[in-house]
Amino acid sequence: MMVRRNVLAGVVLLAIGLGYGVLTADLPDRTLPGTPGPAFLPWLITAGWLALSTALLVRGLLGGGKKSDVIEYHIPTQSWLALVGFAAYLLLLPTLGFIVASILFFAGLTWLYGERNKLLIALTAIIIPIVLFYLFAAGFQVLLPRGLWG
Amino acid sequence: MGVTGDVLQGFLQAIQPSSLMATAVGCLLGIVVGMIPGMTISSGIIILLPLTFVLDPNVSIALLLGLYVGGMLGGSFSAILLNIPGTPSAAATALDGHPLVARGETGRALGVAMLASFAGGLFSCLCLFFISPSLADLALSFRAPDLFSLMFLGLTIICSFAAQSWIKGLLSAVIGLAIVSIGQDPVMGTARFTFGDTNLLSGIHFLTALIGLFAIPQLIGNLGKKTIASAVRTPSIPFKSLLPTLPDLRRMRLPVTIGSIAGSFLGMLPGAGGPIAAFISYDYARKTTQSSDEFGKGAIEGIAAPESANNAVTGGALIPMMTLGIPGDPVTAVLIGALLIHGLAPGPLLFIEHADFAYSVIFSFFWANIFNLVIALAGLRLLVKLAAAPRTILMPAIAILCVVGSYALRNSFFDVYVMFCFGLLGLAMKWLDMPVVPLLLALVLGQQLEENLRIALTGSQGDISVFFTSPFSALFLSLSVVSVVWSIQSTRRMQNKEAGT
Repeated sequence: MMVRRNVLAGVVLLAIGLGYGVLTADLPDRTLPGTPGPAFLPWLITAGWLALSTALLVRGLLGGGKKSDVIEYHIPTQSWLALVGFAAYLLLLPTLGFIVASILFFAGLTWLYGERNKLLIALTAIIIPIVLFYLFAAGFQVLLPRGLWG
Repeated sequence: MGVTGDVLQGFLQAIQPSSLMATAVGCLLGIVVGMIPGMTISSGIIILLPLTFVLDPNVSIALLLGLYVGGMLGGSFSAILLNIPGTPSAAATALDGHPLVARGETGRALGVAMLASFAGGLFSCLCLFFISPSLADLALSFRAPDLFSLMFLGLTIICSFAAQSWIKGLLSAVIGLAIVSIGQDPVMGTARFTFGDTNLLSGIHFLTALIGLFAIPQLIGNLGKKTIASAVRTPSIPFKSLLPTLPDLRRMRLPVTIGSIAGSFLGMLPGAGGPIAAFISYDYARKTTQSSDEFGKGAIEGIAAPESANNAVTGGALIPMMTLGIPGDPVTAVLIGALLIHGLAPGPLLFIEHADFAYSVIFSFFWANIFNLVIALAGLRLLVKLAAAPRTILMPAIAILCVVGSYALRNSFFDVYVMFCFGLLGLAMKWLDMPVVPLLLALVLGQQLEENLRIALTGSQGDISVFFTSPFSALFLSLSVVSVVWSIQSTRRMQNKEAGT
């Protein structure tokens, strides 16, 4: 599928800018007359955001910009898998704990990066999270979530 | 305590064994990080940052400065050895460095690079030492309108330099300002865009955003690329071959002078950074030296000029960071974050309230340049092997360190999730070819920008002429207009060029 990046980005950013403007309108206006309140900068940001995203959209519609603005909209499967894996890792982290979740994530990501030596994957996936866990606990007083580890 | 006392105190702090050790370790790590294509110095510092939370501020900043200086040289090593610049700043070095390697003169190429980097770094250190206190003194006279305009200038300049499209550059900065507006406003403490979530009251932590924006796109971008291990063949480099000969030293004099001056000056401009300084110096050296025909085929001058320039940029970038609180490049933006974590706000007051610390930073920077040369000379063979560590293991380890780093900031999963969201934002920006650096600068400067804007307008009772009646403010705003107009014109020139091809 071919997608014009500037057009798509312009539309999305315009929508976000409008949403930001709506939220800005709801901000309380606690200030003295003639002086800027908490909504002052957000209004300036809204104006700048809307103007610039409109400019980006118009530029995209008029076909301006680089030739590379028109690209094949393709993200490699490996990247999608890595992102989904990362999200799953973060969601499971509080339950499984740092060590268990990190071992699984590390092993998966190592495989995605193209490592096929199973022994190397297993050893590094186990050793690195455990070393990091105790390094941060003992050396830097950062207690990472223990979860299943105890 | 007088200036001499502060300088002496700073010197003593910088030569504490812990500070010296941290500087040396930082240089070693920096060279390795710089040598790994796909790893940036910013990412290296971001990954290391959580480890510095528990360290003394002097030791912490010495470690990070070492990494900054070492990273520049490391990037050049991979540019010379592999023809793959480890950092964008090293791209110009590859033009003449790699042809020399191909001719079997590896030691000569690396030796010239090391010495030129050392000279450039030392020159910028002198600039840092002599210019910073005077600039800080001048900046002390700035009032709220001047400070607002100065920060506005910093943002517009970085948009001009960092983006090929001025619209995308400015949009990136506006997105950054919108992110900064989340949380309590800096003047009255009113909650904005928090949706009732207490986690958002203190806003988005700068470093959480930084980790996500820089590290995740890099991790995803490196997927599918071949490991460099197979590409690296540790060449035979006798120590003697690293020492430049007298004729080479003579040939290096002019390009090193050009590179050092250009690098130190361009480093001070927010956003200009190493790549621009290196290419300008390379070009200027080519035009001014007699052996211009050799350029691109292994000219010594073609290595010396960009190498001295990209290392001189480091000291130059520290000048606006320390005196004005404005980062000269992404690395100094991260360094500001590191200082803030230790309760030290860079800016003119740093030289008043923590003058000894400010001078210790300058002296640590000096030591970083010394250690850089010593470590590179002594451990080159080992460093090349370290840099060839398989990416398949390195990248997952970095991914986990990103999670640990964000969690360690406030022991909160919220920060980890925010980091991931910023990673997605970074990927989207990469897809759109929108630069991240203006957003980063907006995150660093946004709060102060708003604070000074509102204080200035409150003082003038809403009269905006206050920004034009102050000479400094008027100057900064005029320069902002110039930088935006220049950016628009250069975008048009580029479009016309593309249309022509």
